[in-house]
Amino acid sequence: MENLAFQGLVGLSLAMYLWLIAAGLTIVFGVLGILNFAHGSLFMLGGYFAFTFYGLLGINFWLSILLSLVGVAFIGLLMERFFLRHIYHLDVPYQLLLTFGFILIFDDAVKMTWGGVFMIPPMPDFFTGAVLLFGRPFPIYNLFIIGAGIGVAIGLWLILERTWWGRIMRASASDREMAGAIGVNIPMLFTTVFMFGAALAALGGALSTPVRVVAPGIGTAVIIQAFVVTVIGGLGNLKGAFFGAVIVGVLTAYGILLFPIFELFIIFVVMAVVLLLKPEGLFGE
Amino acid sequence: MKKLIALLGVCLLVIFAIAPSAIPGPLPKVIKIGGQGVTSGAHADYGRQMIMGSTLAIDEINAAGGILGSKLELKFMDSELKGAVAVKNARYMVQDWGAHLLFGVDSSGVCMALGPVLPELDRIHIFCHASTEKLTEQLVYEKGIKHIFRISVPTYQDSIVPALVFKDFPEIKKWAGVNCDYEYGRTCWTLFKSTLKKYRPDVEFVAEAWAPFWTTDFSPHLSAVMAKKPDGIFSTPWAGEGVMLLRQALLLGVFDQVQAWWQAMGGSVDLLEGLAREVAKDKFKGKLWATARYIHNWPDTPENKAFVERYLKRWARYPNYSAETSYSAIYVFKKAIEKTKSLETAKLIKAIEGMRIKCPGGERYFRPEDHQAVYNVPAGKVIHDPAYPLPILGDLKVIPAEDYYRKPPFPPIE
Amino acid sequence: MIGRNGKIPILLLVALIVFLFLLPYVAGKYVMYMTMHILVLSVFALGFNVLLGYTGLLSFGQAGFYACGAYGCAKMLLVIPSLLPGVICGVLFAGIIALILGFLCIRHTRIYFAMLTLCFGMMIYSLAWKWRTMTGGDDGLVGIPRAPLEIPGIFSINMSSLGNYYYFVLIVCLLAIMLLYRIVNSPFGLTLQGIRDSESRIAFAGISVKNYRLIAFTIAGLYAGLAGALLPPLENTVTPPVAHWTHSAEPVLATLLGGIHTFAGPIAGAFLFYVIKDIIVRFTEYWLICLGAIVVALVMGLPGGVVSIFEKRLVPWIRLRFAQGGRR
Repeated sequence: MENLAFQGLVGLSLAMYLWLIAAGLTIVFGVLGILNFAHGSLFMLGGYFAFTFYGLLGINFWLSILLSLVGVAFIGLLMERFFLRHIYHLDVPYQLLLTFGFILIFDDAVKMTWGGVFMIPPMPDFFTGAVLLFGRPFPIYNLFIIGAGIGVAIGLWLILERTWWGRIMRASASDREMAGAIGVNIPMLFTTVFMFGAALAALGGALSTPVRVVAPGIGTAVIIQAFVVTVIGGLGNLKGAFFGAVIVGVLTAYGILLFPIFELFIIFVVMAVVLLLKPEGLFGE
Repeated sequence: MKKLIALLGVCLLVIFAIAPSAIPGPLPKVIKIGGQGVTSGAHADYGRQMIMGSTLAIDEINAAGGILGSKLELKFMDSELKGAVAVKNARYMVQDWGAHLLFGVDSSGVCMALGPVLPELDRIHIFCHASTEKLTEQLVYEKGIKHIFRISVPTYQDSIVPALVFKDFPEIKKWAGVNCDYEYGRTCWTLFKSTLKKYRPDVEFVAEAWAPFWTTDFSPHLSAVMAKKPDGIFSTPWAGEGVMLLRQALLLGVFDQVQAWWQAMGGSVDLLEGLAREVAKDKFKGKLWATARYIHNWPDTPENKAFVERYLKRWARYPNYSAETSYSAIYVFKKAIEKTKSLETAKLIKAIEGMRIKCPGGERYFRPEDHQAVYNVPAGKVIHDPAYPLPILGDLKVIPAEDYYRKPPFPPIE
Repeated sequence: MIGRNGKIPILLLVALIVFLFLLPYVAGKYVMYMTMHILVLSVFALGFNVLLGYTGLLSFGQAGFYACGAYGCAKMLLVIPSLLPGVICGVLFAGIIALILGFLCIRHTRIYFAMLTLCFGMMIYSLAWKWRTMTGGDDGLVGIPRAPLEIPGIFSINMSSLGNYYYFVLIVCLLAIMLLYRIVNSPFGLTLQGIRDSESRIAFAGISVKNYRLIAFTIAGLYAGLAGALLPPLENTVTPPVAHWTHSAEPVLATLLGGIHTFAGPIAGAFLFYVIKDIIVRFTEYWLICLGAIVVALVMGLPGGVVSIFEKRLVPWIRLRFAQGGRR
């Protein structure tokens, strides 16, 4: 019984990385209507930047994370301003194709800049170590990730419900024309929202670097999981994205413990079932 | 639409009017050697080290006049750890670029896909890393694909050696496996279990977890396996994944709970570099055991020392086993061609069968039954040694390869 | 756009086909090998475009059906080493799976459809990957024979020479392409385009939109399966990556490159895809960034693909230059 609970906790920490990417993906989709295939690549870039600042240049851990957020947000700015802006009127296929093109570009750009070999930064000293939970050592870093994920969830809720910018985002998400009609600067909003979404993905990547390898191709691996999470939770639904991430993370962890053969298959079955029976997602309206 | 096809036709005519690929005859002026390995992603160091090792060998040989006057030229491609890509690369290198000889390949899955295609390409291939025993036991011995040679130790090293080492640890009774979910991981775990069981019927295998390529987070696998409280862990994920696995294991406090951890290819340079900090702080508490397919600090011969020094001078890094195997492979080609004075496949096969050749890693003998090179590689603990800038394997145990290599007629592995 | 016939083009089309038949005599083995891959991708992409260009549905899971064709053929070949049963088995298997999954997928459109196809494609991938006893897992099925083309008692043609297998692939692909051309230019094809352009109008005319979509989906699946089935005898191996979504992206890219709105667009795109990749790889290992840049440029500037430049600029120019008197 304790082992199940422990495994569930491990799954929860997995879920938080997924939540961070899915959050950005969901916000971008909700407000801009674009499903950004390259979102996983932004996660990867966040990881690479964090590694460069923290692992190679020796900058303070927290500052490195902040800097990588800024760096990736800047890349998001370039992406939106010069490319995405011109295809909002095009069909979904073209959006997916354009963002897929970016996946290819980022994968090679990363190889050209940092080389194709994997890289592993050191773990900050205050994070090594574990606490006893359910009778077994649980890494402090995983607890930190869980805390960070919940913190981001609360922060996002606050931004959306309590700030002016958040209200505009929600308004534009539900009715873009009307929002434009009442004077919202839509282009500016879209750019800032895309940058924000990119920063969230980068946060996920930056936080994952101390424990995971940074290598080209991580983006492609992670985007599918992000899609699964957002579909299960409901496209454009932030609350859904959080709980979708939790479901996927915990299911994966239990799958490895209990059904090692089918853990990948189960995730996609759940995704298909949700799409077929309730396409707006488990938490969608 | 028809007009489009017209344009296509014109383009085809222009671009595709290429001469047929070169056929090897008696020693051309330039002998082309085609290699492939993984050069991108978490396992990229192996392909890179192959390039470094083979380039060093080729440059040395060319500087000394080449092979019987012919110069060597290298082309190296990324196999991406995918069988289909490797087959396409091999076809390209032989039929388009004109490679006379082939070497390399990292993954056990890939070598099984590439092996059967070699007769069609009519080239010999020296495999320098891919370790599944099925390559030599099935494809060479049973199916008679004589084009295949392997210069690196097979899975006997990863799985039989630890069984022989740990059979003498009576307090380690419960084993768990955290393995790569493909041919290599599967066959190693099965071979380890069946060998250990023969010596220690009291041993139990309490848990196993399987991690595919591209796993970045092993914590669910580790925590699933630690739930059964094993005494020892058998682990095969290699390269960057091996580093991540071990770091995540440290975070989960695994090394406080187990008595030993066998990291099959833990003696590999990229892994040792990745864990340098942790080893220096003795985080593994002397419980991390490993082997490799060559380690730079053994054997303690002048030839090996000289090789390591030349390699360090050229590349500023210690040679990994894939570097030594690729370096030696080029010299095997040289010795074979000097004997046959020809590039004909059938003659080269005869020349390498039964060949004994001195390499940095010791003397290798290519047994004619299955074209597997027989040579010794020790196992040991991962330790910090102030004489080296990275951890090394110490407390070495050398078991003669003759004693543990499986021999024909290769009984099935239960 | 579709079906325009001029005197010159038919001659060139015939010349092209003749050239393809003569290819083994003028070019080396590697070129033959690449051409086979181009033909296979053309078939794959043409099937995909039935869904996208003609019916307006973007499927990101076609690789799943390609894998069904590949694994189906491989399993059959490992039991009965004869080429025709192998290919037929692969195609049928892919078609049946396409019919079943299509029934589920076509209940949605646009983004949900795309997500569903992505999902099913990855389900097939995870099965191919994990079901070791059936599919060989990550290592796949190896040692698949390039079986002879035979009808027992009548004839048997050995396929181990690359040239022979090339002709088999060439003939099968040409037949498949011609068949598809007839299908999309039939009333069925026109109805599909009607559904793409205005679903409600077609429904008002009393046509079952769902059934037409399902047929289109199955056709796409059959063609993907055919493409997949031609692969195992060539490569002697089938591995799970053929089912991965990144492989589903290949027909998408090829169609985008060549043009979504013409019949031959996917064929042109398949050719371009391989040529670009092959040429770029000779100069730099960074071919992904070039391909990505081309994709971005095409979507931004030229959604009609390469064929649209051809149709809009080159054709009128050629027409003007070579027109028989009076046709200006």
